[in-house]
Amino acid sequence: MIAGRSCELSRPLTVGGSDKMLEVQDISISYGSCDVVRGVSFELREAKTIALLGPNGAGKTTLIRSLNGTIPLSAGEIRLNDKLLTAYSRREISQTIAVVAQENETKFPVSVLQFVLAGRFANGSAFGWETDTDIATARKALLECDLAEFENRLMNELSGGERQRVVLARALATNARILLLDEPTANLDPAHQALMFRLVRERCHEGASAVVITHDLNLAAEFADEIMLLKNGEVFAFGSPGDVLNDKNLNEVYNVQVLLDANPASGKVRVTTVY
Amino acid sequence: MRVQKRSLRNNEDNITNSSLYVVNCSLFVVSDQKDLNRRIAISVLLLFALALVLLLAVSVGSESLSLFDLNEQQRAILFDIRMPRVFLGACVGASLAVAGASLQALLRNPLAEPYLLGVSNGAALGTMIAFVFFESFGLARPILAFAGAGLATFTVYQMARSRAGMNVERLVLSGVIVTTFLSSIIVLLTSVLDAARLRGFTFWLLGDLSQATYQGFYLTLIAAIVGTIFLSSQARALNLMMIGERDAMDFGVEVGRVRLIVFGLASLLVGTAVAASGSVGYVGLIVPHLIRLAVGSDNRLVVLFSAIAGAIFVVLADTVSRTVIAPRELPVGAITALIGAPVFIYLLRRN
Amino acid sequence: MRIADFSKLRFLVCFGLVGLSLLAFACSTSNPPLEPKADYRTVVDDLGRSVSVPVKIERAVSLAPSLTEMIFAAGAGDRLVGVTTYCNYPEEAKAIQKVGDTMTPNIESIIALKPQVVFVSTASQLEAFMATLAQQNIVVFVSDAKDLEGVYRNVEQLGDFFETKSRTAEVVENLKRRADFVRHGVGYSARAGNPTRVFVQISTDPLFTIGKESFLTTIVRYAGGDSVTKEVPTAYPKLSKETALALAPEVIILSDSDDNKEPNAVFKNSPAVKNGRVYKINADIISRPGPRLVDAIEQISEKLNASSKKESSE
Repeated sequence: MIAGRSCELSRPLTVGGSDKMLEVQDISISYGSCDVVRGVSFELREAKTIALLGPNGAGKTTLIRSLNGTIPLSAGEIRLNDKLLTAYSRREISQTIAVVAQENETKFPVSVLQFVLAGRFANGSAFGWETDTDIATARKALLECDLAEFENRLMNELSGGERQRVVLARALATNARILLLDEPTANLDPAHQALMFRLVRERCHEGASAVVITHDLNLAAEFADEIMLLKNGEVFAFGSPGDVLNDKNLNEVYNVQVLLDANPASGKVRVTTVY
Repeated sequence: MRVQKRSLRNNEDNITNSSLYVVNCSLFVVSDQKDLNRRIAISVLLLFALALVLLLAVSVGSESLSLFDLNEQQRAILFDIRMPRVFLGACVGASLAVAGASLQALLRNPLAEPYLLGVSNGAALGTMIAFVFFESFGLARPILAFAGAGLATFTVYQMARSRAGMNVERLVLSGVIVTTFLSSIIVLLTSVLDAARLRGFTFWLLGDLSQATYQGFYLTLIAAIVGTIFLSSQARALNLMMIGERDAMDFGVEVGRVRLIVFGLASLLVGTAVAASGSVGYVGLIVPHLIRLAVGSDNRLVVLFSAIAGAIFVVLADTVSRTVIAPRELPVGAITALIGAPVFIYLLRRN
Repeated sequence: MRIADFSKLRFLVCFGLVGLSLLAFACSTSNPPLEPKADYRTVVDDLGRSVSVPVKIERAVSLAPSLTEMIFAAGAGDRLVGVTTYCNYPEEAKAIQKVGDTMTPNIESIIALKPQVVFVSTASQLEAFMATLAQQNIVVFVSDAKDLEGVYRNVEQLGDFFETKSRTAEVVENLKRRADFVRHGVGYSARAGNPTRVFVQISTDPLFTIGKESFLTTIVRYAGGDSVTKEVPTAYPKLSKETALALAPEVIILSDSDDNKEPNAVFKNSPAVKNGRVYKINADIISRPGPRLVDAIEQISEKLNASSKKESSE
């Protein structure tokens, strides 16, 4: 069941052979008369991690939520495996795309394992009970997130950081090939921040891809293959960390002064903000 | 996999029941043999309790009967009066408990309940209109009750929504507004329309199983079965929706469709129950709560077990209502409120 | 305005409001109590209250259909200036100005009619309302006729009020004679040891009947029957269907109203239904504790005397 590879990925729905998993073509999203995202285009390829950066209100969360279809587009198209996103059912989308987002508090007593098992919903039947595979997958996800002994705890007993990791575990349990993460390291301590990104990278090595929203420029530089810099709903810059993270871009987008050098341990770009 | 026995922290009581090994400290359901056994054990226990309660209810009443050796008149009492009433009570209890459990999961609010949300009053108003204007058409009452319940549910939901999603306080407030508004319409109609015809109606509004017939029982039974089965089919989706609508959507739940189905079925259940027996309150609130305390929040269990426990609750309440001041009768809704309100307060304080 | 000014302003407003309300309260209680005048007499009403009624009553209001009937029986119907919407007997009562109904009378209409006395029955339970009328110097007389004896007493009292004693004496004498006629009638004594078992149904579903405290229990007895629910507490209980079925009455009396068109389904095998001995009696005469209670006795007795072979129904 869980032998050999460290995870089982669900097969893509169309046997396309294309390595373009998500294709975003010139999309715009508006609330009323206000354009939150304008004219964004990019491709998400297999085994790639894209970091989505930008100041507050730049439209990052809106953009990422449009990628799994939970926010409708005002213009443009998104294709998943060469098929329009709107042509899929929610269940089909959820088998391929998993989301890590800010978590809601619930008034009902829900255990950690029950919470993570929600990630297996799309793979099961409506009436059905969880299979052994489901439970093993969920347990493995918890183990990966350093939460093995939390299985039977209640969600509202945990700290913010612990809950955040459970949310990540839920997304990992889906074995989806595309991961969308909205500020997943917000409440995590440095060790777990690194753990989280490492887990995402591992998945990508096995063929998954990820889009990560983060404010941590250095984590982005360390772990992302490409960086998309958003400003006012438009793509300000898109490319490798070395190309995008320069002082001119960062100054214009974030309105801060930065110093750039190389991280001595990994050699990747290191950004230091001048306060 | 071992089922662990661990005492709960916080202020949750230790609910170990070692003789039956029905401990559910971990509050989740895991699919393995021991757990399956435990689920079966609880089901059997509940069904047994239901059978016992039904037997008790049928043997007790304002006229004492021995169940063997019945003359013709006593047979008539047993079969024509007591049995339809007891069985109707069971169906009404099941319907209301299941509706309450589903609404609570859907609206993510443990206080959601058909009575408090105004759904019962909507059904009562529909029944009243059927009673006054469509008296000859027998099915008018459940149909209009269903319509009234659906309308009330829709109104409360629309009022409680905001851009940020369902807000719990808004929901309770909207429920209160809709309930009181509908109550005043009912009072208005009672005053304005012919007093003689509606005199008995006011008593019925408080919950009255005394007008039970086999027809009413069959209708409510069908609705209860259909409602419970289809809501159980949505139970897994409800488990996700209980955590959050957005989360549910992210992980594959067709939120709009589930919402429609749950609202529709809850209205059906409440509508048929109220059309048959008036407004029996607190069942949809107390029973799912107690079930959740015993077996956790997994709706696949909560919905099914609430049906059985709801039936037990209402049959017991009705037995009290027709024996305590025999040969007179109390409205069963008064008994459920007398029991339900203090339990509700207790539950509120524990939170 | 500065904050200090605001709080001063608030204080003044509150003080002013409190002061005004105290003033209003003081004014409202400043009416001196009425001195008993020469042309008043003091009587005791059915609640034990001592009331001062004018010796000459020209304008009276009745707030219960039973009281209206009694006042007309006392020959003082021409002095009624206001009645309730349900006061429909005798015919002349229908022409009198309506002032609401028994449970919710319209106080303004009553006051506008400038009556001297308002007759109220205990069914109204209107303490606050009585206080308002007292302030307008309108006397309230409460009647509480619980049975036939109470009706006789009330009618005689009305004779005293309206100075129609000779008339009322005659009326009461007449009523007693008619009631006694029934009680000593042939049918009655024939059944004396074995009175007919009667069930009086007030509404079909839910099933309401008469209980121990209803005057109808006595009326049924005078008519030669025996109410099967005479031991049930309260006046108009909702009866368990099982008990109703077990009671197996010989005669069912329905008070004729829209929600009482037929006997409850549990009676379908009762002797009453099987023998066709289901009778409707006018709802007014059996619900009003007034002179027509004797009509009720006569009608019920007539039904009870009817042959049990479906010869006379209704």
